[in-house]
Amino acid sequence: MKNSSWTYARKVSQSFCLALFLWLFLQTEYRGIDQLPYPVSLLFRIDPLAALADFLAPGPFGWQALWPALGIILFTVLFGRFFCGWICPLGSTLDGLGKVIGRGRRTFSPAWRRVKYYLLIVLGAATLFGVQLLGLFDPLAIFLRSLTLAVYPAYNYGLNGLFDFFYEHEVPLLSSLAKTSYPVFRDNLMAFHQPIFALGLFTMLIFLVIVLLEKVEHRFWCKNLCPLGGLLGICSRYAILQRTPQQLCADCQLCDSLCRSGAVRESGHMRSECLLCMDCTGFCPEERVQFALRTGTDNDLGVDLQRRGVLTAMASGVMIAPVVRIGPVTHEQNPYLIRPPGAVPEEEFLQRCVRCAGCMKVCIGRTLQPALFEAGPIGLWTPLVVPRIGYCEYNCTLCGQVCPTGAIAPLKLPEKKKNVIGLAVIKKDRCLPFAKGVECLVCEEHCPTGEKAIVMEEKEVLVDGELRRLKFPKVVDKLCIGCGICETKCPVEGASAVRIINEGESRRKRPELLAGPYG
Amino acid sequence: MTRIDRRTFIRQSIRTAVATSAVGCLPALDLLALPAHAAEMPPLAVRKGRDVSRLVKETLHALGGIEAFVKPGEVVVVKPNIGWDRTVELAANTHPEVVKTLVELCLDAGAKQVRIFDRTCNDERRCYTQSGIRAAVENIKSDRVSLEYMDRHDYKELAIRGGQAFDRWEFYMPVIEADRLINVPIAKHHSISRLTLGMKNLMGVIGGNRGRLHHKIAESLTDIASVIHVDLTVIDATRILIANGPQGGRTEDVRNTETLIASPDMVAADAYATTLFGLKPEDVSTIVAAAQRGLGVMDLKQVRMV
Repeated sequence: MKNSSWTYARKVSQSFCLALFLWLFLQTEYRGIDQLPYPVSLLFRIDPLAALADFLAPGPFGWQALWPALGIILFTVLFGRFFCGWICPLGSTLDGLGKVIGRGRRTFSPAWRRVKYYLLIVLGAATLFGVQLLGLFDPLAIFLRSLTLAVYPAYNYGLNGLFDFFYEHEVPLLSSLAKTSYPVFRDNLMAFHQPIFALGLFTMLIFLVIVLLEKVEHRFWCKNLCPLGGLLGICSRYAILQRTPQQLCADCQLCDSLCRSGAVRESGHMRSECLLCMDCTGFCPEERVQFALRTGTDNDLGVDLQRRGVLTAMASGVMIAPVVRIGPVTHEQNPYLIRPPGAVPEEEFLQRCVRCAGCMKVCIGRTLQPALFEAGPIGLWTPLVVPRIGYCEYNCTLCGQVCPTGAIAPLKLPEKKKNVIGLAVIKKDRCLPFAKGVECLVCEEHCPTGEKAIVMEEKEVLVDGELRRLKFPKVVDKLCIGCGICETKCPVEGASAVRIINEGESRRKRPELLAGPYG
Repeated sequence: MTRIDRRTFIRQSIRTAVATSAVGCLPALDLLALPAHAAEMPPLAVRKGRDVSRLVKETLHALGGIEAFVKPGEVVVVKPNIGWDRTVELAANTHPEVVKTLVELCLDAGAKQVRIFDRTCNDERRCYTQSGIRAAVENIKSDRVSLEYMDRHDYKELAIRGGQAFDRWEFYMPVIEADRLINVPIAKHHSISRLTLGMKNLMGVIGGNRGRLHHKIAESLTDIASVIHVDLTVIDATRILIANGPQGGRTEDVRNTETLIASPDMVAADAYATTLFGLKPEDVSTIVAAAQRGLGVMDLKQVRMV
């Protein structure tokens, strides 16, 4: 297949954007600087779906951060879905991996393309009524999420295993090479601590399904399912960058089989489906195909969205909100639903979070974990603080810095140190001084607040029939911020003897607690 | 070259794998607890002063200079306390200037390599930076010095002969294998061991679930100290933490004592440091246990003040 210079330009753009994305991804890690200069969330500034989520969430629209997304919309209105063909990292990955795994030759009924529009309508209507699920299907969120939760941890694990092997077995040449190159990898290309995520496998499977759909049809996801593709498709319906000839030529028909988005048909060129990959300018044997700026809407067919389908999609979307709301309020039911510091109140949090997993990528203490059902039926992939796995580092403000939609507000360090995300509770049936009559103070020792929120009280107690003076930990409620280091470091094996519950979170609107006996 | 067929290749691979794993199954290295090395009348130097760098040099000079401890060509481990994500003025970590001056002295004495590390409690990247020790060490600009993150490959389980709390524990081998170990703790309040000094600082070179040591803190720390040979202990008491230790966080809990304590006898140095807090050596159970086990001298009348 011959490539035109346009195709080369497109491929360069795709590679460049993907590389830029991966570079930003690697920059989204603490490397000795408290303020991250280039977090990966910068990418979401050009994401129209993130902008839509932010727009429909309570509070004013975040113009300052999200104006580039509106720029993308504007350019799409003028030129069509260049984002899908030239920029989107998921699209580029599918183009690349599709070549590796081999592509299916089947062409699906064009009716499938309606799915992405219907999905967009369902999600949009649900968001309008307060249930934001855009992030589940947003290609940028899918890409970053899969990378953060599955691909990158697996890559780290594999690489670490390789280095371990050369450490443990002396292989001439290779071992010394591995030992000298390890610091370079560790400091630039790997995670400092091996990432651990409970939903790694699950997230990977979903990513694999999207990739394997390439086996069915080239860009199956982008053509048929992607709601961002749907949104940009609607916008590009009257684009002025137009293709000539519009129809399939009577003598050739090559476009019909080679166009990756099946946008060229006998009746015309569907601008809302064309990804502007520009391949047809190259493979046309007669070099007839050209793209040029033209006005006029003749021959644009778009996808035939049936009125009935649109109405059904809208109704389904509208229905989601009340059905979700009739469930119990999850953060009151589940005391272990703890959100990162700076998280906005739960309801707004769910409306803002696009499940991009950026906060989980950057979390220094590895405490942020993706939720499955812990945060309720619509909380999938939202960040949870899970202190037994890791704790919230006292002097760190990274998660708020990377959140693209303000679900986690960026806090200055002094505010962050006062932001209460939960409260430590000591389990006396597990805690060593209480349960076994032996000394322990690990929780108190690690408690990071200047005036400690866990103090030791000395008491005389009867242990095995003998009177002993022992020190017992006690939580000072008004000082505890719920960082969870006590739960992480508790030396009791298995379940920790101190656990964080979401009581007293700063983000809850409630009257001030009166000081109790332990206040 | 002889070509090997698939079958031969598989057979040889399996043989190699079996042989390698057999080597890996060798029993853990058996380290004898060090013979009680409580010297008669160990020297102890205590100096006061504002200029930290000069203070270090004067204190060391009183002990006969660093040359008495570090010989040319030796690998030296300098083990400060870098356990916490805290800045200098909060007195949670060893003063960077103390570390820097000691390292420079070692280099001047001809050390082949000076390695600095600690198994931190907060994230090590944050601790190394926030403590000021990374900047101080980078300032030395010598390729013989390295501030290292501890390597998970380098821990090994060792038997502790005569251990009273444990009969084995994981130790960080670069410390065991180094020619010299200089222990540089900061003097701080601690709720269970009461104070954290030289002996407690050794917890930064062991692996495993360290929280378990607190159940029998005195016996455990003595067990650890019986395996690790410390050549010189320099206690940073330029400022000390008198409450909310060991990590502090409030300047109200810090006292500027402007003191440095140094001795080849870790127990004696720890014993002296208790006096800065208005305590006596017998008030700290770890010191008592170590002295009883013969690891050093706790009776301050039995030391030679230099």
